[in-house]
Amino acid sequence: MTDKNRNSGLIGLNRRSALKGLVASAGLMAAPGFVRYSQAQSSAPIKIGFQAHRTGIGAAYGRWYEKTTAAALKLINEAGGINGRPVEVITEDDGTDPKRGAEVVGKFASQHKTDIVFGTLFSHVVIGSAPTAGELKMPYYVVSEGHHVASTKMNRYCFQPGITDVKSQVISMAPWIAANVGKKITMIYPDFAFGHDHRDYFTPAIKAQGGEVIAQIPIPPTESSFTRYFPQIPAETEVIYHVMVGPAVLTFVKELGEFYGTNRPQLFGFIDSLEAVDMASPGLEFLEGSHFWEGMPRYLQPDASDAVKAYRNAVGIDENGAAVGDPKDVSTAAHMFGCWETLYVVKQAMEAAGYQGPDDRAKLVEATEALTEFKEGPEHPQGDKIFNGKIHQCFGHQNISIVEGGKLKVVHRTSIEDGLYEPEGDYTTQAL
Amino acid sequence: MQVLLRLVLAFASALLSANPAFAHASERGHVLLLPTGYYVVGGAMAVAASFLVLAVLPPNLLGRAAALRLPLGGIGDGARMWTSLLSFAVLAVLVAAGFLGSRDPLSNPLPLTVWTLLWVGLTLVQGAFGNLWAWINPWYGPWRLASAAFPNLDSRTMPAWLGYWPALFLFAGFAWFELVYPAPDDPARLALAVALYWAASFVCTIIFGYEDWSRRGEFLSVFFRMVSRFGVVEASPEIGAGKRRLSLCFPGSKLWRAKPLPPSGMLFLLLTLSSVSFDGFSKTFTWLGFNGVNPLEFPGRSALIGINSTGLLLMFAALASVYLLAVFAGQKLAGDSRSFWHAAGLVVWSIVPIALAYHFSHYLTALLVNGQYALVALSDPFSLGWNLFGTAHMNVAAGLTVGSGSAWLLWNFQAAAIIGGHVLAVLIAHALAFRLHPSPAKAALSQLPLTFLMVLYTVFGLWLLSTPTAG
Repeated sequence: MTDKNRNSGLIGLNRRSALKGLVASAGLMAAPGFVRYSQAQSSAPIKIGFQAHRTGIGAAYGRWYEKTTAAALKLINEAGGINGRPVEVITEDDGTDPKRGAEVVGKFASQHKTDIVFGTLFSHVVIGSAPTAGELKMPYYVVSEGHHVASTKMNRYCFQPGITDVKSQVISMAPWIAANVGKKITMIYPDFAFGHDHRDYFTPAIKAQGGEVIAQIPIPPTESSFTRYFPQIPAETEVIYHVMVGPAVLTFVKELGEFYGTNRPQLFGFIDSLEAVDMASPGLEFLEGSHFWEGMPRYLQPDASDAVKAYRNAVGIDENGAAVGDPKDVSTAAHMFGCWETLYVVKQAMEAAGYQGPDDRAKLVEATEALTEFKEGPEHPQGDKIFNGKIHQCFGHQNISIVEGGKLKVVHRTSIEDGLYEPEGDYTTQAL
Repeated sequence: MQVLLRLVLAFASALLSANPAFAHASERGHVLLLPTGYYVVGGAMAVAASFLVLAVLPPNLLGRAAALRLPLGGIGDGARMWTSLLSFAVLAVLVAAGFLGSRDPLSNPLPLTVWTLLWVGLTLVQGAFGNLWAWINPWYGPWRLASAAFPNLDSRTMPAWLGYWPALFLFAGFAWFELVYPAPDDPARLALAVALYWAASFVCTIIFGYEDWSRRGEFLSVFFRMVSRFGVVEASPEIGAGKRRLSLCFPGSKLWRAKPLPPSGMLFLLLTLSSVSFDGFSKTFTWLGFNGVNPLEFPGRSALIGINSTGLLLMFAALASVYLLAVFAGQKLAGDSRSFWHAAGLVVWSIVPIALAYHFSHYLTALLVNGQYALVALSDPFSLGWNLFGTAHMNVAAGLTVGSGSAWLLWNFQAAAIIGGHVLAVLIAHALAFRLHPSPAKAALSQLPLTFLMVLYTVFGLWLLSTPTAG
């Protein structure tokens, strides 16, 4: 492990070896451009357990979460690691399976003895793993966008500091939709928790903006043809808010197009429906001119900051948000930035806590809770954020993009305030 | 293993000359937009039509084609012990990597080798060419060494009454581990399973003798040998001093002379097909919806152990039942009073091309994508920064199987394989039926129910590849 980069040097370190666990070796230290881990009390690496969806239904997302994590890790190590110590990421596959998720957290604690666990995306895996993290007093930083962390139904050790939760995302859309697209809204959503969240958060939010959800059309999750639901859309509908997910999304869009032809209401959706799908795919033509929420823009925008460009280069995505050199491999750009930003939050919190090892985990929790804001820049390329230590959740800007020529162009960026809501509890009252 | 690696790579890159990823929801989404219904109808008609064409062809026409051989020269099996020992050594390294290497199943070479290169890749190599496994299985060499030390091991045999039952039960365990167990990709758990299986199977080799155990007990050897009967390379029986003649033949020709399998062997072949079928079926919205599972919120394999164990068993029971019913009905139609098990055990060989077609279609994407991960991982099996084959830093290109263009191309390959596999199955069943019924009319009549089953299975296979699935 320690000799692996003896000949390549840190500069030439690739994604694979970065994720395998980077450790400072004599040869590595001699490499040009290396920042010496000189002041550290210990040169042993900080170990981060990456709970990754490498197999199972989350694998397509997991692959990009892994790439983003590796890219951030490389930069963090090049800049001297955390508290002067190198950082090692140990990847364990959870199979996108809640039960295995809990096992993996246990394994990180007992077998790999990692300092923290990080990186979980799928909500049910977070919900399945968080109790174990709490019992083992293992700081658990998820990148899920679910509302479960902010709902304060997890525990003191569970954080989501790198990506805004879905409740905040949804309510922040309401002001712009009411002002620019329409006030009479029909919601079409899959009839389970994911769709219900959108229904329950958006309906009051648009009402507060003087709009109204005039129809709610839940679609059974196993449905693969949708035409028979469309007559339920009221004629006076100005905006269709759609959040369909799964393999039948393309069919949904195609059939909606066939139903309306050229004379359609406005459409507003969440890119979750088409994350990692080329917007120029056949069948999606009907979306031209419609709007989508994006956590971070998939397509390189003309006004992109240097930090955004540096982030995209480091992760390896081109101007269309696809893998460099492999244009069909579209990334999960709207979400994966959360891995990058979360690692930098962990770094910031560990430095604030003077974190030395697993004995300092409680200090790390408190230090994370004490964080209040993250400034836009190379560490937070998606934008500045505020962090609420009581509910362990960050809040940031959201993007609204229009489909133009088969690409997404940002037309509005919400304020952080657009997405704020009353806290539902306070983790800091729980014992450590 | 090197040869195998190259073969698999060559095979994969010959199919599609770009690079691949994970099948996720959006890929099936593109397939849902394709006119797959026409393929289903067309496929069913093609299989039915092939039966009609065969019914009017002179029976000896195909027989003459099947007897054609193009000599390739001789081969001695002197090196076989060494290739097997090399394979054993590679396996030992891989097992060690499973315990000591990366915990990531896409960086550790053990799961990638077992599930992608061996189970997917080698099956197709065996089916396309012949029994390469006889040369590279990891038991033959160690057994030869053991029998050199203890010569009486050579004469050990397995009782005939055991039939293929050991292979059948071991394969059932394997299929369960692959399709139902929550973490078959976990490197350490797989390493333990592989090590235990190798050791247990080696003990059985000592007890029952290599020949018998590998022919009827060790499930991989049994499976690989059966599918290799479809391959185009034939090795003759020994012509002295461990020498055999190799020749080329048409795909499936070797099945012309196949002997009937006993009931346990017949069930083994049906189990292999039903397990791959269930692999596809278990992910469909139909199966998940039937069991009250929301496919859009797939709860993970841990939550489905009971459901999928039952499903795997039911799929096998259903396929075995309809197959036996089709053979039984065929015998009745043809007025045949001879042994039912004899007919069922012979005609079951026609399942081989279908099993291969299913294997190809269902695992094509996995082969193309995970095959690349395998090449990367094998170059650095312990994550120590090695680059044994120069592929450690190869970029795994995930775009090959992504997008509407790829979905169209892959669907066409898959559909062609499913339809072609069933047409060949009809052809082989036809040829075997002539061995049971010399009268062309009776032979054709006896095949009518089985042909109907094959048409249905064509439809089922194409439906599996075009219906909405989770993940």
